[in-house]
Amino acid sequence: MNANTQDTPSYQIYCRMTHEAAALERLCQVVRIRGFRIAKMTMESSGEALNIALTLEGSRPIGMLQSQLEKLQTVVAVVLDNELAEKRDIA
Amino acid sequence: MNGAQHILEAFRRHHIDTVFGYPGGCIMPLYDALVDDVGVEHVLCRHEQACALAADGYARASGKVGVCIATSGPGATNLITGVANAHRDSVPMLVITGQVPSALIGTDAFQETDVLGMTLGIVKHSYLVEDAADLPGIMEEAFRLAASGRPGPVWIDIPKDIQLAEIDTRGISGPSAEPEAPVDISEALAMLRSARQPLLYSGGGVSLANAEEAFRAFAESSGLPAVATLKGLGNTGPSHPGDLGMLGMHGSRAANRAVEECDLLLVIGARLDDRATGRLDGFAPNARMIHIDADAAELNKLRQADIALRGELNSTLAAFTQAMEAQPLDIEQWQHQCRTWHTTGGFHAADNEDPYAPIIGPAFISQLSRITPDDTVIACDVGQHQMWVAQHYRFASPRHHLTSGGLGTMGFGLPAAIGAQFADRSSTVINVTGDGSFMMNAQELATIRRYNLPVKLIILDNQCLGMVRQQQELFYSNRESQIDLDDNPDFLTMAKAFGIHALHINRNDQIRRGIETLLAYQGPMLLHVAIAREENVWPIVKPGASNTDIIDESQRKRTANKEHMA
Ligand SMILES: Cc1ncc(C[n+]2csc(CCOP(=O)(O)OP(=O)(O)O)c2C)c(N)n1
Repeated sequence: MNANTQDTPSYQIYCRMTHEAAALERLCQVVRIRGFRIAKMTMESSGEALNIALTLEGSRPIGMLQSQLEKLQTVVAVVLDNELAEKRDIA
Repeated sequence: MNGAQHILEAFRRHHIDTVFGYPGGCIMPLYDALVDDVGVEHVLCRHEQACALAADGYARASGKVGVCIATSGPGATNLITGVANAHRDSVPMLVITGQVPSALIGTDAFQETDVLGMTLGIVKHSYLVEDAADLPGIMEEAFRLAASGRPGPVWIDIPKDIQLAEIDTRGISGPSAEPEAPVDISEALAMLRSARQPLLYSGGGVSLANAEEAFRAFAESSGLPAVATLKGLGNTGPSHPGDLGMLGMHGSRAANRAVEECDLLLVIGARLDDRATGRLDGFAPNARMIHIDADAAELNKLRQADIALRGELNSTLAAFTQAMEAQPLDIEQWQHQCRTWHTTGGFHAADNEDPYAPIIGPAFISQLSRITPDDTVIACDVGQHQMWVAQHYRFASPRHHLTSGGLGTMGFGLPAAIGAQFADRSSTVINVTGDGSFMMNAQELATIRRYNLPVKLIILDNQCLGMVRQQQELFYSNRESQIDLDDNPDFLTMAKAFGIHALHINRNDQIRRGIETLLAYQGPMLLHVAIAREENVWPIVKPGASNTDIIDESQRKRTANKEHMA
């Protein structure tokens, strides 16, 4: 079933993970079960790390997803786009 | 040393003396290594689900990491329910499965399943060992992860060739856990002191953090009235004057009333599960909230806390206790009010004076609680009997109450009791089960017999899936659907077939003798208790309703059908 994405908030999120077996599956599984849809995803591997940029849609608080992702052992860092923007503003 | 021998060596190094498993093709090298005297006792259960649940019971009772082992394919898939059970209740567990040889992975080889992919949602972390050189590091990390922070199951899937490969074990040293920075409690303390009706709300996180003593010291020094979740029962010990028992769907009126009336909720090691809170917008409507937990993701997850503290519970609670001892709280009126509620709305199962009356579940559990020694471990199954235990059994410690909280796994009790008995061979371990749950892992009677474990079994037999029947009665216009178990086997004959002594009781005046006989018996024994079919768990809050919308017996729509009484 297609969710009506018209009014659903959307978020940019950046994730750095270690390049282990099933790293991406873990990420996608948590995103799905915590109530978000992946609208766009790009990924780049650099050495031992995976850098992933996601556009997510979902009506639950994004902070909740962030803290769940941070619990994954393979996740090194999760940054929300607004946090990046804030950092840029401060700089 | 090969990979298999290394795994056993790692068990020894981490003081794991008992593991629960079942052999098969892809885990043969490990079983071959077990033939030598390796200082680890392997317990052969009769189903892999039971291996995982026994490891879970072992971990809950002992506080150590539980270990279970299985082969690839069906062995691994059979483990899943038990591992999910440990995951939902944050039980430290290490799961070892054999996998088809590395070169065959992805070829649909015999007994190949994608264990890593299949189990992502039920583990704290998992590994597929792709290189033998990684095995030592993975074993160390897995042990550390399983037991640290918020504990949970860690699964290592090991291809057969890696179990056979030579391993270089020089220089293995697990990364030492970094000490956590102390939590600043000053704001929380100020909020606690400013509250007039503060309430302590604790859960399974207290024993998971091995913080029972620190918690009890805080409960005593603060004198706070206290409610507990299913997994928090026993946190305050058997004699805390402010203990109001369990809150939530089957919680006492007193506990739910206190939550409704309190002006500050101090939540410790609990995750505000829906079975405990009921509808969230009606939960503790007048209260500010301080939430303390080891897992940052639990804070502000379901309800925004006014103060959220992530940290190690022992040191945090010790800081609170010190503050309470220096300056006690002034909450006498509130304490008195809560005690009054407890007297009128706590759980007090009345003993029936009629010796010939049929046995009623709550009254039986109440007597069991009075007769058993303080350090008895009760391993429950799932259903009405589980809730009667939660309501009417007084636990001296949360480690004495093994119950499947998050997943609610029927069939948990018997293997969990086996695990607990291995954790302490001299303790009294009783599996309280229903006739439905018992049949989910009844094959484990063979394990009890094999190891001659003095586990006691009590089947509260209402000839039906009682908890489902109750909900059908109350919420589905009494349209009973697929709950009848009146064709149960003869449980006494069944026990005897496994070489286990058994006794049947069905009358009120037989309760005490039945329990005393069970406790006095030297080996394993089963007590079959025929109870009334129509008995319900009271009170009950309809799933999804607010905890203030309590339904109790007086509102029961129909009278019990006496014909069905056992
Ligand atoms: C594995 C599993 N299947 C189904 C359920 C749903 N369920 C919850 S309680 C219950 C009835 C349990 O019956 P019984 O063990 O006889 O206990 P009683 O409620 O009669 O005390 C069922 C079917 C479950 N919790 N676990």
